[in-house]
Amino acid sequence: METLRLYVELIAVRMRSQMQYRTAFVVDTIGAALAIFIEFVTLALVLTRFGSIGGWTLGEVAFLYGLTESAFGTMDMIFSGFDPATFGAHIQRGTFDQFLLRPLGLPLQIFTSEFVSRRIGRIFNGVLIFAFALANTSIVWTLPKLLYLPIVYVSTVLFFGGLFVVGATICFWTVESIEVINIFTYGGTTMMSYPMHIYNEWMRRFFLFIVPSGLLIYYPALFFLDKPDPLGMPLFALFLAPVAGVGTLFAAFALWWYGVRHYTSTGT
Amino acid sequence: MYLALARLAFQRQLTYRAATLAGLATNAFFGLLRAYVLIALFGARENVAGYSVRDAITYTGLTQALIAYIAVWGWWDLIRSIRTGDVASDLARPIDFFGYWAAQDAGRASAQMLLRGLPLLILYALFYNITLPPTAWHWLALIASLACALFISFGWRFLYSLSAFWVQDAIGIGRAATMLTTFLSGFLMPVAFMPDWMIALMRLTPFPAMINTPIEIYLGHVREPDLLFALAEQLWWVVALVVVSRLVLAVGVRKLVIQGG
Amino acid sequence: MISVQHLCKEFKVFRHRRGAWGAVRNLITREARVVRAVNDLSFEIARGELVGYLGPNGAGKSTTIKMLTGILVPTSGELHVNGHVPWRERKTYVGRVGAVFGQRNTLWWDLPVVESFDLLRHIYKISEARYRENLDTFRALLALDEFLHTPVRSLSLGQLMRANLAAALLHDPDVLFLDEPTIGLDVVAKERIRQFIQQINRERGTTVILTTHDLSDVEKLCERVLMIDRGKLLFDHKLDELLRRFGGERELLVDFAEDYAEVSVECARVVARDGLRVTYRFARDDISASALIARLSERYRIADLSVREPEIEATVRRIYEERLLEQTSNREDAKHAKTIK
Repeated sequence: METLRLYVELIAVRMRSQMQYRTAFVVDTIGAALAIFIEFVTLALVLTRFGSIGGWTLGEVAFLYGLTESAFGTMDMIFSGFDPATFGAHIQRGTFDQFLLRPLGLPLQIFTSEFVSRRIGRIFNGVLIFAFALANTSIVWTLPKLLYLPIVYVSTVLFFGGLFVVGATICFWTVESIEVINIFTYGGTTMMSYPMHIYNEWMRRFFLFIVPSGLLIYYPALFFLDKPDPLGMPLFALFLAPVAGVGTLFAAFALWWYGVRHYTSTGT
Repeated sequence: MYLALARLAFQRQLTYRAATLAGLATNAFFGLLRAYVLIALFGARENVAGYSVRDAITYTGLTQALIAYIAVWGWWDLIRSIRTGDVASDLARPIDFFGYWAAQDAGRASAQMLLRGLPLLILYALFYNITLPPTAWHWLALIASLACALFISFGWRFLYSLSAFWVQDAIGIGRAATMLTTFLSGFLMPVAFMPDWMIALMRLTPFPAMINTPIEIYLGHVREPDLLFALAEQLWWVVALVVVSRLVLAVGVRKLVIQGG
Repeated sequence: MISVQHLCKEFKVFRHRRGAWGAVRNLITREARVVRAVNDLSFEIARGELVGYLGPNGAGKSTTIKMLTGILVPTSGELHVNGHVPWRERKTYVGRVGAVFGQRNTLWWDLPVVESFDLLRHIYKISEARYRENLDTFRALLALDEFLHTPVRSLSLGQLMRANLAAALLHDPDVLFLDEPTIGLDVVAKERIRQFIQQINRERGTTVILTTHDLSDVEKLCERVLMIDRGKLLFDHKLDELLRRFGGERELLVDFAEDYAEVSVECARVVARDGLRVTYRFARDDISASALIARLSERYRIADLSVREPEIEATVRRIYEERLLEQTSNREDAKHAKTIK
């Protein structure tokens, strides 16, 4: 409880300091939202010529797009402290030691070390696109679907969070790792915004069994949109989102603690 | 003189070698994703708006290769210089300010083409069956087109960077300008795939000339007789942007001199 | 309070090969050599002591401090601070310790100083009453009021260090680690901080470990000095002892009664001559001050004289450069250099 209170207080501190730069905040928020919006609009325009992509309509793709973007934006905001770029800077400058010198848990401190509120633009954008999807697809809403949707959302946030934590942990060994993780985070969001069956065999295998991106948005989407599975996975694959999300975050933090032990044994 | 500046900037870029391999992997991955999206869009169709599937795949490689060269994701050197006040010392030099920055950008771009652009294309050539410019004229036109594209892009980046003379958050403006570029240049999707009204709109702006034009020349979509016309169109944008930039620069410098930093 | 026994810290240093081909080779095999940053360190520090920790750059000072603060895990040896093993019980241990690093900041950049303090109050679970007390005391001693409501990012270096120092002591730590707290500050600021440290040490009995290159800090604050070089503890004594033993050359200023043409004397050399005043420099090993005075009085008539002790600055530099302590510890008994309190 005390921890939660501290968390809220420290986050409030971050937000207050960001609010000082009000115009920049608004501009950045809008800017962040626009970038993704432009990609989606481009796709929408192009689809007027092609009709569908991989058999999916614009509305259906928007479902993937919106859900991925809002979840990633949420993660980006909450896990700002673990953003490999920011975290790597701490390790390089030696300011990570400061966290070790405070009588607080390390994850709590890292979570509250940054909180980039302007990411809310990306979340808002994702929600808009998702709303577009809901308006342009005929989803038959059942109770299970309504219950599963927030679960999928949270699982995806946790999944991306796990990727961030892995990226940050790698910084304990080498600060130059950052770009590779970008392939999975930023590349991942792009990839997950389109139906998975358009990709080739090894990509699908990789992003289902090794880094389970496909289990978090695409497969649940098949469930929501009542579409058949073109890849022939077992039925329960549609519901593995929480497993994939929690599992990734769990594994990430296991690696993290290993990284912390390494750091305190070898210094910088 | 300008050549020396360009060469210096070129060498400086070469020293930033560290990011290359991972950056290449990132480019390759995004290119891959875009290729699959395009393949899926094509579906059973063999040719859309003059593009074959092979053309489309080549297009994804070309756009990725151009990212660093055209500085698609933004360029902040000038804004930074104005914000920190370094610009004052640059302006005091007996050299044309615009030319000074243009030369440096040319050096930077050439190095990045060498370090990020070409290796990516080679990677693409190894794994994909990409097309090549059809005739010698196309090769020549491509080189000229790339040079023009760079100057158009530079003119635009220079122009929006000048906003730093007037506005506190020039970086915000820069980001918006960058987004405009990605949206209207044919970077995300080939211009030809857009609805006709959109294409007409885009052609009123300099952006397609930065990316779409050189790509269309490369792919041979511009027939031989039209090559000169395409280059002339680019040249028109070069001139337009250079003129506007220099005008705005003059106004900005006057403000700086009168009001101080 | 602080008990260090046979503390060792080894680092594996990988040979970083340059160039593109080297980068590939780096991935495949790695050549490593073991560096002993801290080598069999042993010392005890009692509660309430104000100890200076000296050594040239790369001697192992920061490595020792990192282990003492619990940031770094030792390779071998025993380390106890107030009954705790720092690195093992990080969260509980760190709550009883304070640390300030020169030119580094531990407070929240965008917040006014007082709000950072308030956050620390929550983090360290300081009682409201105690917090008020400490804050008032520090405000007076460090003149914090002039910037208490200023955001940390707007502070000058001197103000920043004062703020950080106050922050480090708000929770009444048992031990205070200071790593170059006065570096980069002007004389007035340095003095203010020194006085503060001294007061805290005297009035509260806070044990203070001071790492510094500024020897005036040492001179003014520390009675006891630990000197480390290449990972080994070479000296653990009072400061006077250090100067006495390694003081190098001393100076003798003589005002002669007459203007002598020749004022030379064996075992000492003339370094300055200004009318009747002559400055001699002599080495402690060569001749004692009294012997030199005697020798001079035999030959010349002296009006006045004074002996100048070497500056700590020069002494310590000499020790570093000439590795005097290593020679000593090699020559003498190992015990003598390390154990005496």
